Amino acid sequence: MSSNRTIKPSSLSVSDLPWQIDWKKERCTLCGQCTAVCPVQAISLSVFRKRNIAAINPSNLLNSSSRAASKSFVCSSNQTDSSEFSQPIGSFNQFNAEEQPLSPFETYYGIRQKTSIEEACIGCAMCSMVCPNDAIQPHRNHEIDRYRFHINQDGEPRKRGGRRNSTASLLDRIKFIRISMLTDPALDAGRHEFELRTLLGRILPPKENMECLRNNGWIPPVREIYPLIIGGMSFGALSPTMWEGLQMGVAYLNEQLGMPVRISTGEGGCPPRLLRSRFLKYVILQIASGYFGWDEIIHAIPHMKEDPCAIEVKYGQGAKPGDGGLLMWHKVNKLIAAIRGVPQGVSLPSPPTHQTQYSIEESVAKMIISMSMAWGFRVPVYPKISASSTSLAVLNNLTRNEYASGLVIDGEDGGTGAAYSVSMDHMGHPIASCIRDNYLNLVHLGKQNEIPIFAGGGIGKNGNLAANAAALIMLGASGVQIGKYVMQAAAGCIGTETDRCNMCNTGVCPKGITSQDPRLYRRLDPEDVAQRIVELFVSFDIELKKIVAPLGRSTSLPIGMSDALGIDDYQVAQRLNIKYVV
Amino acid sequence: MNTNTFYVNIPGRQGDKRIPSRVLEEMIQNAVEQGHRAIEVNAYGQHGIGGRLWKAGSDKIKIRIQGQSGQRTGSLGFPNTEIEVMGPASDDIGWLNAGAEIVVHGNASNGVMNGAAQGKVYIGGNIGARGMTMTKRNPRFEPPELWVIGSAGDYFGEFMAGGIAVVCGYNSSRDLHPRKDGRDESNSILSQSVLGYRPLVGMVGGKVFCRGDATGFSKNDAKVIPITDLDWDWLCINLKVFLQKINKLQLFDNLSKRSEWTLIRAKTPQEKLIGKGRLSMQSFRQDVWDRELGKGGLIGDLQEVERGAIPLITKGDLRRMVPMWEHAKYKAPCQANCPTGIPVQERWHLIRQGLADEATSMGLKYTPFPATVCGYLCPNPCMASCTKNLQYMTPVNVKLLGRAGESSELPLDALPSVAEKSGKRIAVIGAGPGGISVAWHLTLKGHEAVLFDESKQIGGKISSVIPDSRLPKETLNKELERVKKFIPDIRLEQKITPKSFQKIKKEFDYVIVAAGARKPRMLPIQGVEFAISANDFLAKAKENQSNQTDTFIKAIRLKENQTKAVDSQVKTGENQAQAIDNQIKPLKKVVIIGAGNVGCDVATEAHRMGAETITLIDVQKPAAFGKEKEDAEAVGATFQWPCFTREITPNGVILDDGETLEADTVVISIGDVPDTEFLGKDIATRNGFVSVNEFNQTSDSAVFAIGDIVGPGLLTHAIGAGKRTAEAIDSIINGKEPKPVDARKEIDKSRISLEYFNPMIKSYNSLEECGSECASCGRCRDCSICVHVCPESAIDRFESEDGSYEYRADPQKCIGCGFCTGACPCGIWNLVSNTAV
Repeated sequence: MSSNRTIKPSSLSVSDLPWQIDWKKERCTLCGQCTAVCPVQAISLSVFRKRNIAAINPSNLLNSSSRAASKSFVCSSNQTDSSEFSQPIGSFNQFNAEEQPLSPFETYYGIRQKTSIEEACIGCAMCSMVCPNDAIQPHRNHEIDRYRFHINQDGEPRKRGGRRNSTASLLDRIKFIRISMLTDPALDAGRHEFELRTLLGRILPPKENMECLRNNGWIPPVREIYPLIIGGMSFGALSPTMWEGLQMGVAYLNEQLGMPVRISTGEGGCPPRLLRSRFLKYVILQIASGYFGWDEIIHAIPHMKEDPCAIEVKYGQGAKPGDGGLLMWHKVNKLIAAIRGVPQGVSLPSPPTHQTQYSIEESVAKMIISMSMAWGFRVPVYPKISASSTSLAVLNNLTRNEYASGLVIDGEDGGTGAAYSVSMDHMGHPIASCIRDNYLNLVHLGKQNEIPIFAGGGIGKNGNLAANAAALIMLGASGVQIGKYVMQAAAGCIGTETDRCNMCNTGVCPKGITSQDPRLYRRLDPEDVAQRIVELFVSFDIELKKIVAPLGRSTSLPIGMSDALGIDDYQVAQRLNIKYVV
Repeated sequence: MNTNTFYVNIPGRQGDKRIPSRVLEEMIQNAVEQGHRAIEVNAYGQHGIGGRLWKAGSDKIKIRIQGQSGQRTGSLGFPNTEIEVMGPASDDIGWLNAGAEIVVHGNASNGVMNGAAQGKVYIGGNIGARGMTMTKRNPRFEPPELWVIGSAGDYFGEFMAGGIAVVCGYNSSRDLHPRKDGRDESNSILSQSVLGYRPLVGMVGGKVFCRGDATGFSKNDAKVIPITDLDWDWLCINLKVFLQKINKLQLFDNLSKRSEWTLIRAKTPQEKLIGKGRLSMQSFRQDVWDRELGKGGLIGDLQEVERGAIPLITKGDLRRMVPMWEHAKYKAPCQANCPTGIPVQERWHLIRQGLADEATSMGLKYTPFPATVCGYLCPNPCMASCTKNLQYMTPVNVKLLGRAGESSELPLDALPSVAEKSGKRIAVIGAGPGGISVAWHLTLKGHEAVLFDESKQIGGKISSVIPDSRLPKETLNKELERVKKFIPDIRLEQKITPKSFQKIKKEFDYVIVAAGARKPRMLPIQGVEFAISANDFLAKAKENQSNQTDTFIKAIRLKENQTKAVDSQVKTGENQAQAIDNQIKPLKKVVIIGAGNVGCDVATEAHRMGAETITLIDVQKPAAFGKEKEDAEAVGATFQWPCFTREITPNGVILDDGETLEADTVVISIGDVPDTEFLGKDIATRNGFVSVNEFNQTSDSAVFAIGDIVGPGLLTHAIGAGKRTAEAIDSIINGKEPKPVDARKEIDKSRISLEYFNPMIKSYNSLEECGSECASCGRCRDCSICVHVCPESAIDRFESEDGSYEYRADPQKCIGCGFCTGACPCGIWNLVSNTAV
């Protein structure tokens, strides 16, 4: 492409881009692998022209009266063979030998980065992954890139996957300061047995429970589950290989390791085979405003060998609170269509709200009782909302609803497959204070052991999964949900908080995690994902014990044990009602 | 025990007062120091009795403890020490034992031998929790041993790192009176295991013999191994010793049944790494997952699932992107911008192949005037749009290509071949460039075209008004001769009237009106009669040159002019010519109103004819460009603008602001308008021009119009319109819907790699050089660079029998890297998304 051109306001140079390709000519073998693997065609082979001007002694130029003379001087002083002045391979000019310029041009091939908005490098570094010679890698632009000011082409603001692109984490700053050595029986993470389980469901006091049973012939269903839950990521948002890998890993954890790990389906239905298998008991079926796949689930109810673990009614998502989703028509292939119960090739909107629900009371009452009824009130049903200053209102409502089994609150640091950047970056409520407020409210009502609150959103976003989870549990969460972390740890997702990749929404996921293209998702083997899920949970379990054992108070999950928490920020300490430590 | 030994007694209390542990320790140490080697202690719970007795040196020390031994009896014990606890023992007996032998005749509570490294502890009862924990073995010494006749409490052997423990699991009631059904009578769940609850967690060394159920131990850390003969012999020998120590030798036969014993040892670090007793994920998938869900797993019922991961770099159908050889899929910019649509890039390709005559002939398929127009008169939009301009590289010179026809001695039969005669007759009114073009192309397609023109010669304005300085006469004549040979029926000096037009319409199948715009536009101002139109001026000038008559210019003053000259176009005859001559004279000071390219031609001609000052004026920035403008400037013509003419007088031009531009000759050069009167009222016009659709069809479907009668344009526009109109009429004749013959789009110039060309070459001297330097946009130049650049050797060249060729990438080799696309000089290869799986 010509370097000289007319420019538009949105014409960018490599310097304007968020990611810059560093290509080393001397190392490159021109094997084509980087350009073949690049998910966005950000790089291509290009032809370069290099001008080599031989050194000319100015005195000789002054002495020579004509250009021809200087030319002959250059020829002789250069002491090179005549090929220096002949055209290199790849040039077509065989004429004008007499008027050949003094400075011959060389033509060579190399890798060039493209600068168009749609072909801007996303920093995924797949080029580095395939390069046999370490000749290429992307670098983050240290400036505020100019790209962000022009990505709104055709008036369409940026959409992306990933998280908030902020590495700041309050959870990371919370320390566990109550280390028992001699004050309480010291526990040993390796030696002692811990009952790191949590309860999902309405836990009535024994007396009330017995009365309930006696009077109604029914008590609320409660599940004893592992406190780290794989949050809702739909079949469709995730590739078939990724989804199967997650489910397989969960089944393995349950059946081989006895860890009662549960996974939410997200809103996108559930493969018919899973619905009819015993593995369904490890699954939390999610229902959201699009209700996709639910008729298939209803059809499967008579054939279910097991009840699902629970039903999650999604009202909001921490990453894009108050916004819905849209699965673009081109992703709705035969498989997705079958699972969601729709025709192929239609766009599938999940509106921001459930249309027929106009108030908290109605939403909660209607949805919870409908879903409970579907399984004869044997399955816990709970809502999932985005963290908000209004979360308390929802919680208060739930406490008055005998069928409500819990509440999931998803904080602003949550991940998503697709959202407008503005929603992701600027909408939402931090999880810590939201969980804390809700938990303390339950304490105030004396119901903190009755209705569990689960936290989600950015847990482990800087890699500190167990510490973040433990902090939230001690702030009052009965358990935590993770999504993005699972993709990163179990499937090699390369998305980061410095805006690396984050292209989940475009279907070109280079790891095959969020793509429906078999050419991409077949890069991922479900078995490998399952194996990594197992490793993730087992190591999380060890880390969680490493945190709770030295606290020495109990071998069960320390929900709300906030006297163990401290932070080096006075205001935060005051706000969360934990200790201020410096 | 040897009861004959004399024991010195140390009491644990004096009167009512318990001796503190510190004092008792002092008393025992003093006794040893004093030479006592057998000491009996009446203990009252004192701490650590019997440890640390190194003062006896290599002498054996016997300590017998009566009463309540305290915690950590024998702790930090030395190898010379033998301790006998006559009753039960408290916590941590033998703690950190470094060699003492300790016998307990009763039970021992928690922490037996915790942290011990040497020595032996024999327990004649049961032990509490965390016995044999954290024991280790120092290679310098014999390993520590713990013998228990009964069972162990919970968490036995935690972090055990060495030593041997033997737990006999002897239970008097069970062992002496076993139930017939073999069930354990104990009520305690924990007592089902002789090693207690969760034994051996974190065990890394040593071994444990036990008799009875030991299934609850940590499988992660330890494993059961077979008891070898050597082990068994060791156990039997030492079991006797143990039983002797605790005075229960009679149990030997009962306890020495080999089958009742289990030997457990710590797993090695290597053993811990492999196999945790779980299924591999592969087996789980196969034997659990797929078995429950069905073949193909989660979605095996919904789609074919090919198992196994694919690599990042793929071939064949698994490529995400595939290269396409898009040769000639797009027009080169030169062709796309040529109003006549000449495929200039194809002609240069022929030149590169050494086929200069073919390149010339190819031109004739598109235009009857390759030399006259492409070579001289055309401003060459092809070159203006040339991709090479992007880098300020000189476009290859199409003028050279056009003029190649001049010198070419192509025989007449080298004219383009003509299609089979259709029998259709088409009248073309106007034998200017447009009319000749349409007649030419109709003839090519086998239709009979008849040219009508009112002048004496064909060629229209090319022949009549374009100065000879811009075009060698021989070139034009040669091309006009060719036209005459090709189109036999040319009828000159045919003035078309409304009546004769209707007659022609009846006589012919179709009529094409190409009469041009020959009526000069004049200004509606006072004194316009003193001015002359540019067309008249140029025609006269040309006539003057042809006649080579220096006496052409006669002295006729402007003021003697006649108003008749205004509509000179419709008048013929001597008086009119005379009038024009009058207007031109004396041609010293010339003002040209309208500074377009025609105005420039006027200026150049005026100069040739002797004008001294030449001024071109315009109401806006002069539209003149290119060669015409350069020539005018070269002869000293000046441009003035904006100038609004108020009046023309015999003295010159008076502008709106009152200024007078002195002139003896004023030429108005503000364009021409067509004369459409002869068409009658049935054919729609707009603003004086004939209205046509995209195929140049007028409101009368049998009448077409092209050229300046439709709207002002370049010669090449008229020629191109002629070609397209001929194609449209041909389609209609053949019963087809007319449509653009070549609807290809212009190639995206960014696809072309100009880096192959030397930007310092600024001019071209030969056709061959031009051919070589042509970037051949969108037209494969057959250079095979792609073949050489492809890292997988996937691209091959295939040639057909007719000499045509193509390049193809073998899907089985290609990885979709797009190197061919990146390297292709001509922008032929394109990397596109593979079709969906």
